Amino acid sequence: MLSVKNIVKQYATHRALDNVSLELEKGKIFGLLGPNGAGKTSLIRIITQITAPDSGEVLFNGERLNSNHISQIGYLPEERGLYKKMEIGEQVLYLSKLKGLSTAEATKRIKFWFEKLGMQDWWSKKVEDLSKGMQQKVQFVATVLHQPELIILDEPFSGFDPVNADIIKNEILELNKQGATFIFSTHRMESVEELCDHIALIHKSKKILDGSVDEIKATYRNNTYWIEYEGDYKVESTENVFEVLQTENVKGKTLIKVKLHENRTANEVLAMLLPKVNIHRLDEVIPTMNDIFIKTVKGEGHE
Amino acid sequence: MNKVLLIISREYLSRVKKKSFIVMTFLTPLLIAGIYGLIGYFTYKGIKDTHDKVAVVSTNTTLTEKLATDENIEYQYVNKPLDVMKKSLSKSDYDYILYLPEFTLAEPKGVQLFGEKQAGMSLNNRISGDLEELIRNQKLKQSGISQTDLDQLKTSVDIDTKKIAIETGKEEASSAGASTIIAFIAGILMFMFIMLYGIQVMRGVIEEKTSRIIEVMISSVKPFQLMMGKIIGIALVGLTQFILWIVLTLTISTIAATVLIDKADVKKIAASSQNGSTVGASQEQIQAAQGPIGDIQKSLAGLDFGKIVTVFIFFFIGGYLFYSALYAAIGSAVDSETETQQFMMPVMMPLLLGYALSLSVVTNDPYGNVAFWLSMIPFTSPIAMVVRLPYGVPGWELALSMAILVVGFIFTVWVASRIYRVGILMYGKKTTFKEMFKWFTYKN
Repeated sequence: MLSVKNIVKQYATHRALDNVSLELEKGKIFGLLGPNGAGKTSLIRIITQITAPDSGEVLFNGERLNSNHISQIGYLPEERGLYKKMEIGEQVLYLSKLKGLSTAEATKRIKFWFEKLGMQDWWSKKVEDLSKGMQQKVQFVATVLHQPELIILDEPFSGFDPVNADIIKNEILELNKQGATFIFSTHRMESVEELCDHIALIHKSKKILDGSVDEIKATYRNNTYWIEYEGDYKVESTENVFEVLQTENVKGKTLIKVKLHENRTANEVLAMLLPKVNIHRLDEVIPTMNDIFIKTVKGEGHE
Repeated sequence: MNKVLLIISREYLSRVKKKSFIVMTFLTPLLIAGIYGLIGYFTYKGIKDTHDKVAVVSTNTTLTEKLATDENIEYQYVNKPLDVMKKSLSKSDYDYILYLPEFTLAEPKGVQLFGEKQAGMSLNNRISGDLEELIRNQKLKQSGISQTDLDQLKTSVDIDTKKIAIETGKEEASSAGASTIIAFIAGILMFMFIMLYGIQVMRGVIEEKTSRIIEVMISSVKPFQLMMGKIIGIALVGLTQFILWIVLTLTISTIAATVLIDKADVKKIAASSQNGSTVGASQEQIQAAQGPIGDIQKSLAGLDFGKIVTVFIFFFIGGYLFYSALYAAIGSAVDSETETQQFMMPVMMPLLLGYALSLSVVTNDPYGNVAFWLSMIPFTSPIAMVVRLPYGVPGWELALSMAILVVGFIFTVWVASRIYRVGILMYGKKTTFKEMFKWFTYKN
């Protein structure tokens, strides 16, 4: 539904985005990852039409991005903000009317959402009287109220306590089920693994990784396993099957990390060990997004 | 366009509903009326209370009549030499010694006034006026006019002056005073309005920037729409306040004028001063006694108040748009209000200069070159033009000045919007003028 094609954005002294392209499928949750200052916000600002790219184009449902799309995009910026002196209800009403909703429709939906998130009696409170987490909730409602097709959330969980983070996560999943497409921009990987279908990693203004979460994880597997066993036998590396990377003794059990040589399988290792020790557990070491992130970014950094 | 209307109504309503707005709107006219009431009261009381006792030492033989005493001044002719009087002044109950040496009516020279206190301007004028009248009357009598004719002449002159004042307004002395007061009020109001509301625009922009709502806003509307919505919304707040002030001030000062100033007292002063002094002096005193309130009332009758208000509103909107766009640009370039100073200076300077020059040079010479140029340059024209207006401005000058101002604000709005769209998204950097220029040249 959203195609970003060869975007270049140049600021006075530095290039914020260097030939970045992305494809978003409808109904997916897309993770836009990257360290601080990588260019994520610049890209989001182009998609939300806050700024325009120097070259390249963005297509929304096949159409070149234009002002008609504003009402179909919801954006929660990383730097949250509301008018401090304005009443909550009025404020959300104002923001959603700016997105093109009628007063009646907006009021109806605000009431619905406020009830859903337990904010019924917040209508006439002022923003300055709310806690930061409460303000975040208000802002989330303001972002999704006009039922946008594309919802862009920049660091959506920062500032939420675990309970509220969970509530928001469920709302996101529900909206996603109803067909909304999401872009998450974050440098915190744990939220990505749970929610995202697809990720792109931006580093130093360039896209350095792009693909579905499963695919990426698969490419970063490196045939390494944890094996936990009982027995006096000390497992040593063998020349053509595996190499022991690490050995630990925990409460009478031994935990080893082994890396298999190419074309070897875990079954072969088990076959070798079963006669000698009592196997308790075997886990494949799957890299977390965090590992991949760090590995990729560091790798890039050395180039 | 619909979005701009939404923004305008939010900016307008959120300000008009504030307590401070309501308090300011209702309190200010009371304060203004109160201040004028006090000025009027004290001026009037001051005149009523002065009583100077002047010893007249005369070696003069040409003057046939004596200076006449009234409520404010008492002349007593003494038959002692000047030296003796001077020495005993501190012990005597005289405030001043007036020395009249021998002189001819054609060339009255050498009159001296001694006192332990420095005689004020008004006393000086009063005595010289009295003397001048004395001499004039004597001259008139010498040329064959009888005392009866003289008295009649006095009455007719008085009536004549009043007529001129009403008919030709600005050309007559007392009405020029009224014009000056209207000009001052208009100038001060214009300066205040542009400053206050321009700074409100700046604050509004900074507020949106520091509260970080700006990014949400401009993902919904264009920066230009947001800026114009804010500027227009605040302009409407200003107009609302201005119109309420006019209505309230007029109401209150009319009430104050009728209640506070005792008309009978004023008449009494006028009548008594006519007996012994010139017509001119009595006019001045009446005017002083009535104070600015009397002037305002006079000017309401003599000047085209409707035109002044209309032109004032036009120049307020024009001048406000001109400056508030610059203020919006400043607001967008900084992170907090404390950082605004370096940018405020160049914006404030022309406004202050226009204000200072308008109230000094322009009121002194409302048709001069300085006045003309100040009322043409859009940086100063809003103030200079409303100051000139009560004195009368040729139609073409007014039209030209208005046209220049319109072109001027279109230009500043354009420049400001180009700085604004970049500035509002910049955080944490200390902005310089060079940087602002760079923003201005950015493509998009």
